[in-house]
Amino acid sequence: MDRQTLVQRLGEIVGAEHVLSSDMDLELYSYDSSLEKARPDVVVMPDTTEEVSKIMALAHAGKIPILGRGSGTNLTGGTIPIKGGIVVHFSRMNRIVEVDFPNRTVTVEPGIITLDLQTEMLKDGFVYAPDPASQKVSTIGGNFGEDSGGPHCLKYGTTSNHIIGAEVVLNDGTVVQTGGKSQDKPGYDLTGLLVGSEGTLALATKMILKLIKSPEAFKTMTAIFETIEDGANTVSEIISEGIIPATLEMMDNIVMKAVEKTIKVGYPLDAACVLIIELDGMPDGMDKKAEMIMEICRRNNVREVKLAKDNAERAILWAGRKGAFGSVGQVRPSYLCCDGTVPRTKLPEVLAKVIAAGKEWNLPIGNVFHAGDGNLHPLIMFDERDPDELHRVHKLSSAILKICADAGGTISGEHGVGLEKLKEIHFVFSEADLEYQRNIKQAFDPESLLNPGKMIPEAEEAVQ
Amino acid sequence: MADPAQMTDELAAIVGQDFVKTDPTETTQFSIDGIVPKAVVYPKNTRQVSEVVKYANSKNLAIVPWGGGSKITMGHPPTRLDLVVCTRRMNHMKDVDVSNLTVTVEAGVKFLDIQARLATEDDRCYLPLEDLITDGNEMICSDRSHSGCFLPIDPPCPTRATIGGIIAADSSGPRRLLYTLPRDLILGIRFVAADGEIIGSGGKTVKNVSGYDISKLMVGSAGSLGILCEMTLRLLPLPEAMETLLFSFDAFADASGFIDRIFDTQLLPAAVEIMNRNAFGKIMRGAVSGFQAGAFVVPVALEAFQEAVDRMRNEMKKMAAESNATAEAVLPETEHRPFWLAVGDLNPSVAENHPGRITARLNYPVAAWKEIIEYAEAALEEGGIDHTLLAHAGSGVCLINLMITGNGDRDQAADAVSKLLKRCLKSHGNLVIEQAPVEMKQKLPIWGEAGSDLVVMKRIKQTLDPRNVMSPGRYVAGL
Repeated sequence: MDRQTLVQRLGEIVGAEHVLSSDMDLELYSYDSSLEKARPDVVVMPDTTEEVSKIMALAHAGKIPILGRGSGTNLTGGTIPIKGGIVVHFSRMNRIVEVDFPNRTVTVEPGIITLDLQTEMLKDGFVYAPDPASQKVSTIGGNFGEDSGGPHCLKYGTTSNHIIGAEVVLNDGTVVQTGGKSQDKPGYDLTGLLVGSEGTLALATKMILKLIKSPEAFKTMTAIFETIEDGANTVSEIISEGIIPATLEMMDNIVMKAVEKTIKVGYPLDAACVLIIELDGMPDGMDKKAEMIMEICRRNNVREVKLAKDNAERAILWAGRKGAFGSVGQVRPSYLCCDGTVPRTKLPEVLAKVIAAGKEWNLPIGNVFHAGDGNLHPLIMFDERDPDELHRVHKLSSAILKICADAGGTISGEHGVGLEKLKEIHFVFSEADLEYQRNIKQAFDPESLLNPGKMIPEAEEAVQ
Repeated sequence: MADPAQMTDELAAIVGQDFVKTDPTETTQFSIDGIVPKAVVYPKNTRQVSEVVKYANSKNLAIVPWGGGSKITMGHPPTRLDLVVCTRRMNHMKDVDVSNLTVTVEAGVKFLDIQARLATEDDRCYLPLEDLITDGNEMICSDRSHSGCFLPIDPPCPTRATIGGIIAADSSGPRRLLYTLPRDLILGIRFVAADGEIIGSGGKTVKNVSGYDISKLMVGSAGSLGILCEMTLRLLPLPEAMETLLFSFDAFADASGFIDRIFDTQLLPAAVEIMNRNAFGKIMRGAVSGFQAGAFVVPVALEAFQEAVDRMRNEMKKMAAESNATAEAVLPETEHRPFWLAVGDLNPSVAENHPGRITARLNYPVAAWKEIIEYAEAALEEGGIDHTLLAHAGSGVCLINLMITGNGDRDQAADAVSKLLKRCLKSHGNLVIEQAPVEMKQKLPIWGEAGSDLVVMKRIKQTLDPRNVMSPGRYVAGL
């Protein structure tokens, strides 16, 4: 099918005004938050599941590559159409379909911005727990595709633990319901398999999300340390002592300085790192838990521990953390965020190795990450206009992932494999493992039209 | 078809002569719905499982995996059964990492042994160590470092279940209310696929999005895709305080009103159950002093910091009194632990006197719980069917044992089950028959009613087990 025909046929499905194919349009949808670029042949914006089904059927019949896009904030190239084809942009499908507080669920369309949904639910005292730092911009659909994380995963789990059902469109346009409001539906956990599948198996057009009641009480603390090692040891000990905070985040000196330039949180500019620790739940016993945490901090040479006095102070602390990635733009124009995850107890040694690797490749690294679940985010800062720096960045990133894999961890905690980590995937999977994953892909998409070239390397590529 | 003696020899070459059983006295103990396997093998590790499965493929043999056998009655009778692969010898705890709150265990490790291994040096354990009965063959882990954590799964048949079976059956229980489900606790898995390849997914980290989430695919797959060999699971620190509150009610409306009030608050109990008098009688074999069970009993498990437990106890007692509770009792930790163990063992208890029973597990969106239970009670009473009823009130699950004895009861029971399924479906729920006399299985909706996603499940089964080696015919819709 030539592009003109494709544009026309899509126009018949969604209306011509919802099909984008000009040069400028295609350029605008050729990039996401990764360092990759590629143009689609056309961008289409459906409004209903039925339209998505027809679009998929059209792609299937015409053997046209097809992928879904929310806000394009993913960091690994998941939304880059490397084989061209159709980008299905879900911006119009952004509704709350049904709120069901008695069942503690809300059903949404994929294009809804995560924070918008959360703000709406909070009005009635309910929380959708997964809170990726991108939540102001990213969509539930995007979170679904990547199995996004966020600071609250330590206690509450990731996106996959909070999506209990979905309506999905298969490669040939068939619409099916997976899971449901009851979590005991007999059969394979297809929802669990699809979440985090990076758009390579199906497109989700509705998601049933789990809600929890807003916690009764919060306690948010910051702890300032003179060395990264003290901070990392504190993280380990808090968990070992039997306390599971709602969040346990770490930021190092480079990131703190960058944040302070834009958001005046009050971070000391001469400390090695800060921990942000939040408890939530019933207030009974919370004071005791907070005191235990402060005692652990003191045992590890903490300079200072501060408790947020009220919601306003708590909000500022969190603004600092959530704005961290954005603020490093002042240090260097570009960054590559690694997403290696290691068992928590390995944090001190792995962090030391990461810092050493940065020195070896001569690139500054800022660390801001979910210390509580061992999910590192070394931000390699560079200027992508410098080809030598770009080259070293990829080498350093690969080296960091190897450090994580060797420490018993994995190459992606929450950002996905996408394009970015296709080579590194064999740090954690054998050829037999990869072949099994290809079989799963085969069950859903034998023609390899759904987001091709992502997540699982082709058989030839894996043989290094 | 392979010559039996040759098959025995070839299997013996893989697992050792002592670990292939073909004698009927042994193999009949592993019959599934009356079908006896040709042989039972006991591999000692993942590699041997892989070789057995590869061998089975080469000889076109059908396999059913077997852990403790506590859930083996689930599913349709197998359309073919040649080998039972029993994981009993795969009972090693490969990595107990208390500081990381993870444990990696082989599939044949008994649930009880995991909890025992995680106890503190002074024997504080999530399960009542002093009450645990194990026979001489089991490996009891006596070496315990200062731990003080637990595996937060609350499976049925806890005394018999292996971790592999728990994961394969997606077993959960009352305390899923606080601790979530096996799918939320599993971090990594290693299994032997239908073609005999050893496949790994996930690992020790709490977060992991590398590759497809195959662990989730395997949870609840009930032996239809492969043999689970090893899994890594999340642990939690032992709660500071643990106790159980028991409340008795004469009317369902009072009991449900009390439960509604609990869920209106922001209190965080570990479990809120409702059970009928029959169920309570089976669980508490002796009486609880001063506690007279009414028509319904609501046990509440509290597991938290002491202050939180104190507050929950005080507030709930008040709420219960205001809801016309006729009796109350508090079980301290020493009684709390065996109580929940006994709740898990309800079905085996019922089995003792009612081998011909039907066990139905109903599921439904949680908001429908009252109507479903009222309907169930009415339908069973109308059919004159004696039954135990136990529901996880906050989780949308209800377990019913229809305690039928004579053949005459069977039609009534089948009719009641059919009604219950219809009612659950109406509320967007379903039901599963976990246990029934073999002769009745044909007439019962073993896996309830399949949904629109059956088309995907078929694709998966056909792609990942094209030769239908693994538990053929047992799964949903006969997959």
